[in-house]
Amino acid sequence: MANNTKPIRIALTKGRLEKTTIELFEKIGYNCDEVKNKGRRLILPVGDNQFEVVLAKAADVITYVEHGVCDLGVVGKDTILENGSSFYELLDLGFGKCRFALATKKDFDFYSGYNTKTIATKYPNVTRAFFDEKNMDVRIIKIEGSVELAPLVGLSDGIVDIVETGSTLKANGLEVIEWVTDISARLIANTASLKLRKYEIEELQKKLEAVTQ
Amino acid sequence: MKNNLKLTPEGTKDFLFAECSAMDFICSKIEKVFVTGGFKRVITPALEFYDLFSLSCSGITQESMFKTSDNKGRLLVARPDSTLPIARMVSTRLKNSIMPVRLYYKQAVYRNNPTLTGRRNEFLQMGIELLGAKGKRADLEILTTAVKSISSVSDDFRIELGHAEVFNALSQQLDIDDNYKEKIRISIESKNYSALNNLLDKLAPCKAVSAIRSLPSLFGGEGVFEKAAQICKGTNAEAALEYLHNIYIELAPLNLGDKLIIDLGLVQRNDYYTGIVFTGYISGIGDAVISGGRYDELLSEFDAPMGAAGFAIDTDAITIKHLSDDNISYSDNPDVLVFANDGHEIEAIRYVDELNNSGVKAQFSVLSTLEETRNFAAERGIAQVKVVG
Repeated sequence: MANNTKPIRIALTKGRLEKTTIELFEKIGYNCDEVKNKGRRLILPVGDNQFEVVLAKAADVITYVEHGVCDLGVVGKDTILENGSSFYELLDLGFGKCRFALATKKDFDFYSGYNTKTIATKYPNVTRAFFDEKNMDVRIIKIEGSVELAPLVGLSDGIVDIVETGSTLKANGLEVIEWVTDISARLIANTASLKLRKYEIEELQKKLEAVTQ
Repeated sequence: MKNNLKLTPEGTKDFLFAECSAMDFICSKIEKVFVTGGFKRVITPALEFYDLFSLSCSGITQESMFKTSDNKGRLLVARPDSTLPIARMVSTRLKNSIMPVRLYYKQAVYRNNPTLTGRRNEFLQMGIELLGAKGKRADLEILTTAVKSISSVSDDFRIELGHAEVFNALSQQLDIDDNYKEKIRISIESKNYSALNNLLDKLAPCKAVSAIRSLPSLFGGEGVFEKAAQICKGTNAEAALEYLHNIYIELAPLNLGDKLIIDLGLVQRNDYYTGIVFTGYISGIGDAVISGGRYDELLSEFDAPMGAAGFAIDTDAITIKHLSDDNISYSDNPDVLVFANDGHEIEAIRYVDELNNSGVKAQFSVLSTLEETRNFAAERGIAQVKVVG
């Protein structure tokens, strides 16, 4: 078929996820030299021109895959939960593990009293869904930088944020009062691509599954 | 106040020249398939009562509709879909017709998509509905019409076929509420294996649970049926599977090969569809361009129970793809521009008609001087200027 000569295009989230994914590709036996010596290029061949890697910011990986300009993507579950829309989530790659948590100042009784609580977060949609599930009205304020600051200066009662080790929270006198959800890197696919290039994508998926599990 | 005088709302656009020609070209190809198949065109209003689309089975969310109100304060929406209005129409205006009826539509639908995602909020859809008929023959008529429609505009396509009753029958065997069922459905629809496993791990293990676990991976060629038959043995899904297999075998003479895929994970709008469901994809378009199936329960909502099936084609998306193909050009230039000296205008206009009738694309110059006409022709790249009188 005509389109099968085109490489499968994979969007990778720049940074740590990109490096681990490339390590996986090498484990499978794909040549990734071009990606490792990328310079300033943003589209790079991988393997025997079978694949093409695009480097993008996390939320953009979803956008590229959703619009079908990239066939596959590797992106964190945090970004999927916050920006997610219509695509296939094929595989939990098992790396980039961390968790979303609700945290407050140490010894603060978050659920007491009648007043509506205020939450500062970089992830307003995740926060909204979490409290919707509890049928709880909260005021959500979007913060771009260090969210930990918000309860300390009195902007919010708590924060919803990604927690890896918890050391940043601890250093600022905050503690986790509830885990929201687990996060790890996921392999996602454009809905049309999975149908049109089923065999190639399934083959890659199986190989990745074998080296991650 | 900021003035939006010169803007179009997000997700809408003006269509100019070649875009219109390309759209007409695509639509006429599909229209020919519909008309040849005996389908008759209907047009429904762009505005409908909100109540029509708020039916719980509609599968259309409240936030995806553009709303306004009429002068009695009743809620109206810009139609987000054409099938529900047609069901309303058939249950009233065509109630006493000789069934079945074959209808087709070619009209825009409106969706209020999340901002800044580059999605179209207004787009043209064409589709057919076959109402008042059930069973294998009606399903084959719909499916073959879908295949003919998509192959009239592309060689490189896929049709995937599933059956709504496979998931519905399996999930009925589980002791879960509608909310939980919906979560399971969404994780199958998005082929989200890890979320699906998490949901199913919380249920008591049984045959239906393990069958549902496999649904998203049950897609491909005829081999799927063999796998599915084993997995679903002894569950309520067996009848639907057998029916689907039968349909698949019946379609064999079309020689679709790889172009026909079975996908038992096809569970979109599952409260709405009751039998076969299918979607179509064209290489180079990142979303489904055809979506349809059988919806035998819908007409009962209008107190006119009858079998019904149909599909919609996103002709807008196909047009955009068509325009991006390299070898497509729609020139809107005439070959000849005709200028009339004073007093010879009507004579010149008649001459233009003559040229057009003989197959030469000609246009009458409305500019006041020959010099202006020559300059205009040169700028626009029109080869020839003729003078009358």
